[in-house]
Amino acid sequence: MVQIAQELKNNIASKAVRNVQRGYTEDEKMRGLFRSEIKLDLQRSRLMTESFKQSDGEAVVVRRAKALAHVLEHMDIFIRDWERIVGYQTSSPEGLFHPIDMNWRSVKRLVNSEAGKTLLDDAGRQELEELCAYWKGKCMSDRHQELFEGDLAKYWKYEGTFLWTHLSELGIPDYEALFKSGLNGRIKMAAERLAEIEQTIPPDYVDQKEFLRSVIIVLKAVINFAGRYASLAKEMAASEQDEEKKRRLEDVARTCERVPANPPRTFLEAVQFFYFIHLVRYLEYSTLGIGIRLDYLFGPFYEKDLQAGRITRDEALEILQLLWAKFLELGLVYSPLVTSVYGGVASLQAITLGGTDRAGNDVTNELTYLALEAARTMRTIEPSIALRVHDHTPDELLSKATDVIRTGLGYPSLFNDGALIPLLKKWGVPEEEANGYAVSGCVYMEIPGKNITRRVDGYFVLAKCLWWALHRGVDPKTGEQWGAKTADPANFASWEDVFAAYLEQVRFFTTKMAQVENTCRDLYAKYCPRPFYSAIVDGCIEKGKECKQWIYPSMVHDMTIVIGSTNVADSLAAIKKVVFEDRLVSLPELIEIMDNNWEGREDIRQACLNAPKYGNDDDYVDLIARDVHHGTEATMETVKDRFGFSKRGDGSAVSATYGLAVNTPATPDGRLDGEPFADSTLAPQPGMDRKGPTAVLNSCAKIDTLQTYNHLLNQKFMPQFLEGQMKPVFIDYLKTWREMKIPHIQFNVVDKQTLEDAQDRPEAYQDLIVRVAGYSAYFVELSKGLQDHIIDRTEHRLA
Amino acid sequence: MNLPKSNDNGEGLVFNIQRFSIHDGPGIRTTVFMKGCPLNCHWCSNPESQDFFPNLMVRDMNCRQCGACEKICPEGAITLTREAGRKIERGKCSQCLVCIDACIYNSLNVCGKYMTVGEVLDEVLKDRAFYRNSGGGMTISGGEALLQWEFVMRLLRAGKRQELHTALDTSGYATWQTVEKLLPFVDLILWDIKHLDSREHKKMTGVGNHMILENIQKASKTKTIWLRMPLIAGFNDSDTHLAKLIDLAKEAAVEKISLLPYHEGGKSKCEQLGRTYPFPAGKAPNDERIESIKGMIEKAGMRVSIGV
Repeated sequence: MVQIAQELKNNIASKAVRNVQRGYTEDEKMRGLFRSEIKLDLQRSRLMTESFKQSDGEAVVVRRAKALAHVLEHMDIFIRDWERIVGYQTSSPEGLFHPIDMNWRSVKRLVNSEAGKTLLDDAGRQELEELCAYWKGKCMSDRHQELFEGDLAKYWKYEGTFLWTHLSELGIPDYEALFKSGLNGRIKMAAERLAEIEQTIPPDYVDQKEFLRSVIIVLKAVINFAGRYASLAKEMAASEQDEEKKRRLEDVARTCERVPANPPRTFLEAVQFFYFIHLVRYLEYSTLGIGIRLDYLFGPFYEKDLQAGRITRDEALEILQLLWAKFLELGLVYSPLVTSVYGGVASLQAITLGGTDRAGNDVTNELTYLALEAARTMRTIEPSIALRVHDHTPDELLSKATDVIRTGLGYPSLFNDGALIPLLKKWGVPEEEANGYAVSGCVYMEIPGKNITRRVDGYFVLAKCLWWALHRGVDPKTGEQWGAKTADPANFASWEDVFAAYLEQVRFFTTKMAQVENTCRDLYAKYCPRPFYSAIVDGCIEKGKECKQWIYPSMVHDMTIVIGSTNVADSLAAIKKVVFEDRLVSLPELIEIMDNNWEGREDIRQACLNAPKYGNDDDYVDLIARDVHHGTEATMETVKDRFGFSKRGDGSAVSATYGLAVNTPATPDGRLDGEPFADSTLAPQPGMDRKGPTAVLNSCAKIDTLQTYNHLLNQKFMPQFLEGQMKPVFIDYLKTWREMKIPHIQFNVVDKQTLEDAQDRPEAYQDLIVRVAGYSAYFVELSKGLQDHIIDRTEHRLA
Repeated sequence: MNLPKSNDNGEGLVFNIQRFSIHDGPGIRTTVFMKGCPLNCHWCSNPESQDFFPNLMVRDMNCRQCGACEKICPEGAITLTREAGRKIERGKCSQCLVCIDACIYNSLNVCGKYMTVGEVLDEVLKDRAFYRNSGGGMTISGGEALLQWEFVMRLLRAGKRQELHTALDTSGYATWQTVEKLLPFVDLILWDIKHLDSREHKKMTGVGNHMILENIQKASKTKTIWLRMPLIAGFNDSDTHLAKLIDLAKEAAVEKISLLPYHEGGKSKCEQLGRTYPFPAGKAPNDERIESIKGMIEKAGMRVSIGV
């Protein structure tokens, strides 16, 4: 099995993006954004453009449906030797997906730059030029730039406080329902709804009719797409001499004839069904971080096959390995600025294992263990595994999960149902739906099947908000009033006054972000409907409404990834200690010293560094951290999205704690200008936690998940701690984590020496995987700065 | 200098409280290290634990040569020159420790802090949830914990009142009357053996081992014991000596034997204390020998662990 895994990996073209920028600063652009064999695939762009030229004048939803159908009908398809699950996102294995209908400017810049010149040859650059000419003024990013005026135009651009992006929309299709009806069933449902509105003639009759017709167009196109694979497989089988290969191709043909038109009957059919849906979601719209409850969804198919003697455990493992290979090959082109936050990412896919069903019963099955084995044998950066842990998670599962963590993959990362289900309920999700949550991306929580087109609307640098609070919202370099006009720090009488001004800045920038986002949401609803995605979630066909015209009624939608909360807490504690208690300097003096990046006043910097730091189980600062987290969330929640739901934070972190920190000058915690922030919402500043991992967990537990959001916590352990006689102790540690209701934890299990050696001899460590945030990445693909940031994280040694 | 002195407030002199200790007894534990030791083992990996008074620890690496310590030292023991950097004349130093507060770069630190039973216990109880899930608890170590037996007894008693699992890590070098007083509050004793021959013992630790061996015999009648021994090449790693160790282990019905191969951990700390490392020739047996020792003990039917 290990051999199959290795062969598979040798055949895969990884699309992991290298981080080449920090903010607007070049990090390591010379290395190129992608591995040199990766090429920008223009076929989807070409076909979409053809279709759009033909459909001018029709309703937008119909045009998008026809364009997708055109792509599915004409895109080059291929089946490789080793494949049993088929389907591809681009016209060749090295092809890189590019959604020209979203954005072309940054991609055009990219392929003409040092970082992206290998992505296209000259002919390709010429063709891209022509395609771009059509999309000028029509792609989504052009449309919003045209729309933005005044403050929207001013705050839309990244300045250092928040990075707004619109490169993906998430959400998990209703696979359970799809597996029961097949796409034919959905077509029938849409036809029935069409017949119904002919009788009822609702006020939005035209909108409904256009939408439902679009649904039928795309669903039929997907079935035909599968049919093309079936024909190709048959054709190839006919001329294949090798009996084994012939049999495989015939299997592929049979499977693709059956699904996704009809309900799957076997494990293999279910996997292929899923993969077609997964793929077409990408083709319709650029998507990052798709989640799926793998064991819950596929376990029953596998167990049925086993009972019927149709499959062996080894065969099922091979199918999963093949699926892993398919996951790993998906990718997306990024703009260089976005690599600040997605350093090392391919497409951030996560699968969820374990947890409970709607009634609250544990779902662990044979496939749960098999999926862990697939992960262990494949050793790929994607998919990441999110393991849901609750009071009845079997010890055996924790033990097997520990074995996989021990190998240094960075996953499974553990999600604590005891903290997260109550949080979902607080957000308005009914208990039984909360029980069935899944994870996508880093730590985003999804309710499978529901109309949640989840968006990360921005990366919000909280430490920069504190910095604005210490400068009355005025940029000292330009004199421009950029943040809120808060009070003069000279009049602050306590750290609480600083905190209040900080919250004012948080409110100001959250409002700006929400305005930008709400505008764009409306714009995307108008110009970028998604008939395919609407057809595969619960409620759209039934209502005759496209997914952006209504939403699942809960706060489990958009989120803003917050960064630097620990640095805010440590800074406030340092101000409390150094300014208001020890009175070493006044607050205006401290600000001046800090703004000079501490130059000449190392004594004051040391005093700030020596002030209590979060992560040592010290109430002096931990209670401030609690106030910061709770206060920030409460303040963000006062701002609403366009459906009236509160904005909220999210702990995903990605690589923004490194990439975006470059635009925050020195902060009172002793941090230097541009130095990275703590690597996640619950993490101590690297090197500042000195009392070991239990003290860190105790600090974390003081922050109430229910009053905040879904967090992320990284810990770094020596491998010896997870093996032999120490392994049971590690599992007891996990159980205590669960009991403390800390929402998340994940581990980097690799020693410092290995990482340093990999920096020196990258050629020997091509496969070394590390955990960045809620995703794993190839260490050697990261820039030196991000590598150092990961090395600096506190390593918990054996005491 | 090494004479115990009592603290009028009933406080104990503690030099470290190590949380997430997973090698000092079962499960996840917090180990309280008491300062002061009547033995003077050459290989001691915690030389800062030996004196029964707070010590000045110097980390030259952190020194930025700001001169604050030189200015404040009442004995004139610290001199700072551009050529030689900072020099501390230990002979002149009265261990008044005022320089420590003056140093903002963590280059001068104190080792040893007087704490009440309540203060220590508060820190220990912070990880209670971890003890409960892992079968861990509190371990009291040293230095030699028995030197401050009165404080240690109160701490152990307070721990038992909180239903903590308690372990005592000791050389056993104290009168039986002292050991006896602590036993009711101890669940497990980690007994540190150095050598079973008294003359050899005295040569390398400064004291004989009669009292220690007598105490093991007596304590083993009622208490669970784990034997621990630093494994030092050419000193206590011979087959004949190990055979004696196995005999002792059987006689005292110990649960397991832990062998801790010698390491140079004490060397940098000696430098920080301004002392010469007394055991430059120290060596651990090679891996092969360690494996064979392990096999020998296992063959005798004992549980054994290496380095843990």
